[in-house]
Amino acid sequence: MAKVIEKTKELNAQYGEKQAQYAEDFAKPFDTEAILEVRHLRKTFPLKKTMLGKVTKELVAVDDISFKLMPGETLGIVGESGCGKTTAGRAILKLHEPTGGQIIFNGQDITHFNSKQMRPIRKQMQIIFQDPYSSLPPRSTVGGILSEPVQVHKIVPKAQIKEYVLDLMEKCGLRDYYYERYPHEFSGGQRQRICIARALSVNPKLVICDEPVSALDVSIQAQIINLLKDLQKQMNLAYVFISHDLSVVKFISDKIGVMYLGAMMEFGTKEDIFRNPLHPYTKALFSAVPNPDPTAKMERIKLEGDIPSPANPPKGCRFHTRCPYAKDICKCQAPAYTEVEPGHFAACHLLTEE
Amino acid sequence: MEEKNNEQVVENKPVDTEAPLDKNVRLMSPTQMVVRRFFRSKLSIVGLIMVVGLFIFSFFGPMIYTQWGEIELDESGKTEYAVSTTTYTVNGVEYTIHQTTEKSLKDNFLSAPSKEHILGTDNEGYDVFVRLMYGGRISLTVSFIAVFLITILGVILGGVAGYFGGWIDNLIMRICDVLMCLPGVPILLIISTILDASDIDAKYRIYLLMIYLTFISWTGTARLVRGQILSLREQEYMVAAEAMGYSTARKIFKHLIPNVMPQLIVQMSLSLGSMILYEATLSYLNLGVKAPYAAWGTMINIISTNQDVLQNHWYVWVPAGICIVIAVLGFNFVGDGLRDALDPKARR
Amino acid sequence: MEKKNKNYLTGKEIRAIAKENAQIMRRLEAFKNRICDESEFVTTMHDDANILEIEDLHTYFFTEQGTVKAVNGVSYNVPKNSVVGIVGESGCGKSVTSMSVMRLIQGPTGQIVDGSIRFKAYDYQRDEDGEPVADENGEYRMEEKVYDIAQMPIHEIHRIRGKQIAMIFQEPMTSLNPVFTIGEQLDEVTLIHVPDATKEMAKEKSCEMLRLVGIIPENVYDRFPHELSGGMRQRVMIAMALAAEPRLIIADEPTTALDVTIQAQILDLLQDIKKKIDGSILLITHDLGVIAEMADYVVVMYAGKVIEKGTVFEIFQDPRHPYTIGLQKSKPTMTLDDSAELYNIPGNVPNPVNMPTHCYFKERCAKCTAKCSGEYPGMVQVSPTHFVACHLYDEENANG
Repeated sequence: MAKVIEKTKELNAQYGEKQAQYAEDFAKPFDTEAILEVRHLRKTFPLKKTMLGKVTKELVAVDDISFKLMPGETLGIVGESGCGKTTAGRAILKLHEPTGGQIIFNGQDITHFNSKQMRPIRKQMQIIFQDPYSSLPPRSTVGGILSEPVQVHKIVPKAQIKEYVLDLMEKCGLRDYYYERYPHEFSGGQRQRICIARALSVNPKLVICDEPVSALDVSIQAQIINLLKDLQKQMNLAYVFISHDLSVVKFISDKIGVMYLGAMMEFGTKEDIFRNPLHPYTKALFSAVPNPDPTAKMERIKLEGDIPSPANPPKGCRFHTRCPYAKDICKCQAPAYTEVEPGHFAACHLLTEE
Repeated sequence: MEEKNNEQVVENKPVDTEAPLDKNVRLMSPTQMVVRRFFRSKLSIVGLIMVVGLFIFSFFGPMIYTQWGEIELDESGKTEYAVSTTTYTVNGVEYTIHQTTEKSLKDNFLSAPSKEHILGTDNEGYDVFVRLMYGGRISLTVSFIAVFLITILGVILGGVAGYFGGWIDNLIMRICDVLMCLPGVPILLIISTILDASDIDAKYRIYLLMIYLTFISWTGTARLVRGQILSLREQEYMVAAEAMGYSTARKIFKHLIPNVMPQLIVQMSLSLGSMILYEATLSYLNLGVKAPYAAWGTMINIISTNQDVLQNHWYVWVPAGICIVIAVLGFNFVGDGLRDALDPKARR
Repeated sequence: MEKKNKNYLTGKEIRAIAKENAQIMRRLEAFKNRICDESEFVTTMHDDANILEIEDLHTYFFTEQGTVKAVNGVSYNVPKNSVVGIVGESGCGKSVTSMSVMRLIQGPTGQIVDGSIRFKAYDYQRDEDGEPVADENGEYRMEEKVYDIAQMPIHEIHRIRGKQIAMIFQEPMTSLNPVFTIGEQLDEVTLIHVPDATKEMAKEKSCEMLRLVGIIPENVYDRFPHELSGGMRQRVMIAMALAAEPRLIIADEPTTALDVTIQAQILDLLQDIKKKIDGSILLITHDLGVIAEMADYVVVMYAGKVIEKGTVFEIFQDPRHPYTIGLQKSKPTMTLDDSAELYNIPGNVPNPVNMPTHCYFKERCAKCTAKCSGEYPGMVQVSPTHFVACHLYDEENANG
C-alpha cells in the first residue's frame, strides 16, 4: 500500500516537474487552422480518498497526450484494453472533466468551460459509441431519436424537422419506413447507422468514433467504415477514430497514435507508422494481428505476460515488463516522447540512445 | 446506397441493397410483447380477475344492490330472550327455576344470512354484505392514494439523489436510513391518540394516517429509483444525451424517467397490496376508519372485543378477511406478472 | 390502443403461433425426456475417419414471433485429429450448432427438430443399468461406441458432456465460478469424470493440465478467478477442457474477448495443444484471420445453412460462394491498399423468422441470376473436399 502511494506521489511529482515546460507550451498561440488541438491532456480518477476527501490513490487513465487534428482529417488511436483510449476520447468531449492539459477546439480553449458554456459547442462535436445496443434509448422511435437533437439545437425550423431527418436517414442508408420503428427491431449494423445519423443530425465538425465497428460483423463493418468515409468527404468531418483493430484504423486514418497504459507510445502519419514502426510495442501489435491467409506463416514478435493494471503501472517505461528488447535503463527511467523523424514521435530508450 | 467501382468483383449491382425480406418480416410491437408475456402466466390472469372483481364489487356493487345503505340500521326489530336460572334449596330439595325474559330490541343485529341480509347483520345491525362493498371502496381508495403519493415522493427524491449524487444523494439516503429505523406501529398509536384528542371527523382520520404512512414508506421507491437511475446513467445513450448538450430537465424527464417506468409500475402494484394490509391493520387496531363507517379492517375488529361473534357468528368477520386476502393476493399476482412482462432483459 | 401497423403481427396471428408452438414443444420435450434403451441411440459412423458427423441438423427456436430456424439443415464432418473452423456472422447458427452437439440448447423454446449428430465416443463398457463394468483388476473396460447425440435422451447426456466433448467459452470472465478456487474447479472435472478418482490424483492431473497451458500450477492453484487476468482465465478454461482428455474440444469464440497481443498468445497455445493432444478441435469464430491460422478445414455458414466447406486452402485461395468471397474482401487487412473504398456486402443478414424458399443470400448477392429466385441451391462438389451451395456452380456439377 505504502508503495502505491509513493508511486502516485512520484508520478505526480514528475507531472509537477514538467509543469514549467507545460506552462510554456500552454502559452503558445492556438493553431487557427486546426479543428482540435490537444496539449498534454491528463485524466486521473480517484481510487481512494481519505475522510476529508483528499485523494491518496489515483488511476492515471490518460497521461500526457498531445496532438493536432485538421478539419476533414482522421486520427486513429490504437491500443489494447485499459490503455485509456476511450477515456481520452471522452475527455476531449469533456464528458469527463480533464485533470490537466489543454483542449483547444476550433480556436477556443474549452478546457475549463462549464456545462452551460459547453452547450453551443456540443453540436459541433459528437460521439459514436461501440455498443449499438446500449447507445440508443429503448423507448423512443427512430424518428424521435433523430429529431430530438435537431429540435433542441434548432438546426432547422420546426416544420422542416421531419423532412430534414428523413433526408439524413437516407444519407446514412436507413429506409424511410424505419422512422416509426423502435431500436430493438434492428440489427447491430442498422443501429450503428442510427447512431451515426444521430451524431450527424447537428452538423458537427468533429466526431469521436469510439470503437464504432468492433461490435459488428465483418461485412457490416465494411459498410459502416465506407459510410463513415463517405460522410467525411461530404461533410468535411474530422474524426478521432478509436479502435483496438489495427487493420481498421489503418484503413480509415490519416494519422495514428498508439497508446499503452495511458500514454502515447508512438504517433505519426499512417505511412510513417506502417512503413516504419519505431516502437517495439507497435511492432508487436502489428505482428499479433492474425492474417487471413493460410499460406503466410509470419514471424511473430511474441509478447510475454499480461497487460499490467492501469492502476498500478510499472516504473520506468510502462512497456518494459513485456518488451522483448528491455534494458536496465527502461526499468527505472521513463523514456522521453521525442520527435524521431519530422512529424513522427515515439517514446522509447532504444531510439534516443544512438 | 453504396456505389461500387471495383470492377473485378462486382459484375452487376445487387437488385436491392436492403433486403425486401426485411421489410416483410413482421414482429410484435412492444405493447403486444408486454401484453403477451403478461397473459402467458395463469397466475397474473387470476390476479387480474381478483383485482378487477373487487373493484367492480366495491364501486359498482352499491349502485346495483341498494337495499341497504352503509350506515343504515336494520330497524325491523328483534326479540331477544334472556334465560335466568335461580336455584333454591327448600328442605334439602333443590329447585331450579328457569325464568325467560323477553326483550324487544329496536335493531335487528347479528342475524344469520337470509334473503333479507345476504351475509347477515353485524352486532350493530348493519348489513354485512353492503358494508363489505363500502369497506372495499375505502380500502382501495386509501391504498391508491397512498401509493400515488409514495410514488411521487419516491421518484422526486430518488431521482434527485441518483442524478445529482454527491452530498445531496448522501443527505437523502441518510434520511431514508433514519426513516427505515423508525418503528411504524408505535408511532401510529401515538399519532392516533393525538388525533383522538384533537377530534377530527372519523371519516377523514384514515386519510391523515395514510399521509403519515406515505411519509414513512417512500424510502423503498426512492431507493429503487435511485438505483435504476445510477445504472441508467452509465448507459451509453445517456452519455450520448450528455454529448448532445441536452438540459438537465430534459435528460431527467425525457430520458431517465420513462426508462424507470416499468420498474416503477411493478413496484406500485406490489405496494398496493401492502397498503391494503396496512389499512386493514390500522382499522383493526381501531386507529383507522371508525364506526359507523365501514372498512374491512374495522369489520374484523369486532372479534377482538366480542368472543361471541368470533365463535358463533362467522358471517360477520370472515367475509372481510377473505376480501383482504383476495385484494393482497390479486395485487401481488398482477405485480409479479407485470414484472415478468416488463423485464427489460427479455427485451430485444 | 396502438394504432394499426402492418409491420406488426395481429393478436390473432400471435395466438395461432403460440398454440402451434405449444404443441410442437410438448412433443419434442417428451421425446427429449423419454426413457429408452441404449440401442436406440447407438449407431455407426458413415466414415470411420471422422470423430463427429453432423447430418442435416435442424435446430429451431419456437419464439412468440414465429419459428426461428437457427440451424436449418447443416451437415459437416470433423475428422480425427484435425481442427475444423466454423466461420460466419452473428446469427448464422454457428454457435447453435455447437450447442446442439453439447445438447445445451435451452428448452422448451429451443429444440433439435431433425437430423443426426453422430459422435464416436470412447466410453466405458456398461451393463444393463448403464453402470460402468470393471474387470477383475478393478480396471474399467473401455470401448468405442458411436452415439447419435440428437437422439439421446437428455439424462443420458452425461456420457459425453465434459468427458468426451469439452467446451471453451467466449467469456473468460463469467465462465469460471467466482466462489471456488481455480484448483477446486479443475479438480472437480477429474473427480466427476474418472471413476474412483482420489483428491491427490485429481490435483496431480490439474497441475499437469495447468503446466500444459503454460501456467506454473503453484501460482494459480489456490487463487480465485477474479485474481487472474482475462488471458490467464482463458488458459485455465482450456486446461479445464483438457482435463478429462476429451476427444473433441469445442472452442466457441475463444479469443474474441481478448486483446490482440493476448489473443496471439492463446492462439499459439491452441496451436501447441493441437499437436499434443489426441483429439479434434471445433473452432467457432467470426475472425477469418484466426481461422486461417488455426484450421485445417473450414465451414462457412450463413443464416442457418452451410454455404461452403472445404480445406482451409480451398476456402481462402479458391473461394467460390459470393458470400465467402465478399467476406474475405470486406475485411481490411494490413496489406490492403486503402486509397480505394473497402469492398462490402450490402444489406443485412435476413431476419430469421419467415425465411424465403430461394437462396437466402440472393438479396445481397452481386452475382445472382434468374435461377436464384428458384429453389434453394443444393450442395455442389467442386473438388473432393470442396463443396459449395450456389447456383453459379450448378453446371459444374452436371458436367463433372
